[in-house]
Amino acid sequence: MVFLTLSCWIRNRGPDRFWKVQELLKHARHFRGRKNRCYKLAVLAVRRAFVYSTKGRRFKKRNMRTLWITRIAAATREHGMKYPVLIHNLTKCSVQLNRRVMSDLAITEPRTFLSLAKLARARQQEGFQAALGDGKEPPGVFSRVMLQ
Amino acid sequence: MSSFSRSAQQWATFARSWFLIDARMQPPGKIATMCSVRLQGKHKPIYHALSDCGDHVVVINSKHVAFSGNKWEQKVYSSHTGFPGGFKQVTAAQLHHKDPKAVVRLAVYGMLPRNLHRRTMMQRLHIFPEDELPDDIRANLTEELPQPREIPRKLSEYTQEEIDAFPRLWIPPEDYKMK
Repeated sequence: MVFLTLSCWIRNRGPDRFWKVQELLKHARHFRGRKNRCYKLAVLAVRRAFVYSTKGRRFKKRNMRTLWITRIAAATREHGMKYPVLIHNLTKCSVQLNRRVMSDLAITEPRTFLSLAKLARARQQEGFQAALGDGKEPPGVFSRVMLQ
Repeated sequence: MSSFSRSAQQWATFARSWFLIDARMQPPGKIATMCSVRLQGKHKPIYHALSDCGDHVVVINSKHVAFSGNKWEQKVYSSHTGFPGGFKQVTAAQLHHKDPKAVVRLAVYGMLPRNLHRRTMMQRLHIFPEDELPDDIRANLTEELPQPREIPRKLSEYTQEEIDAFPRLWIPPEDYKMK
């Protein structure tokens, strides 16, 4: 392989300013208006664009996660549960699927997702049973439950 | 590949279904949340904001919606005509009297995202003041959604036996004067 980029960078520093301008305009050619041909405007716009793209790398992760959550919530509601209930109970079952995989399952393998929802439902019922205990009150408490 | 081809499956996936909601004696806000979710397509696992996967929603009996509390008198709908002194304010009762569809429509409109798709999604919302539907819309309906609120029964709808069997907190003595 021949590395041409390095020699171009050296050229950009050089006595001919043309190449420096071209290096920057390369990133601005698809912009709208005079930004795509005037160096003075392009240098500002390219700087802004790079700042946006840096931020966008963070936002992309965040937005994808919200999209997965929306999709999982939609699929969960089809089975009569809510999203927080599903996630909480799957965590309790130590199911180690992340949101991306679960939303993919919801779209491409609905029956696999249904079994996940059933698992969460069963864990929820177990939790309710455990919370109710054996129907007795804690010591020192007298309530209507004991009268029945 | 026979009739169960991928293309047919894709047609089925992106087909629009038509939901029917009966708004009789229901809070407009609860009706509007059900509508806005389905108009945006957020009830589907394939949801994406740009894929335009919303469904049609038909709301009937919008004339018989029920606001709770004193909202009919105190809830104010404001608008501005754009002319000087053109600030209009009407209460919910006045607006409902003028246009029985407006309360539900404005509630849904306020719950949809503020973007260019909002008007398109509103076009897929069909509101009817009574329970009579045109035949072309009735033919499209695929599913009726359950009402969010159970309609409370009036005292006149109870039979005399049910009224007698109703548990009473306190039975007045024979000689008790009510007034």
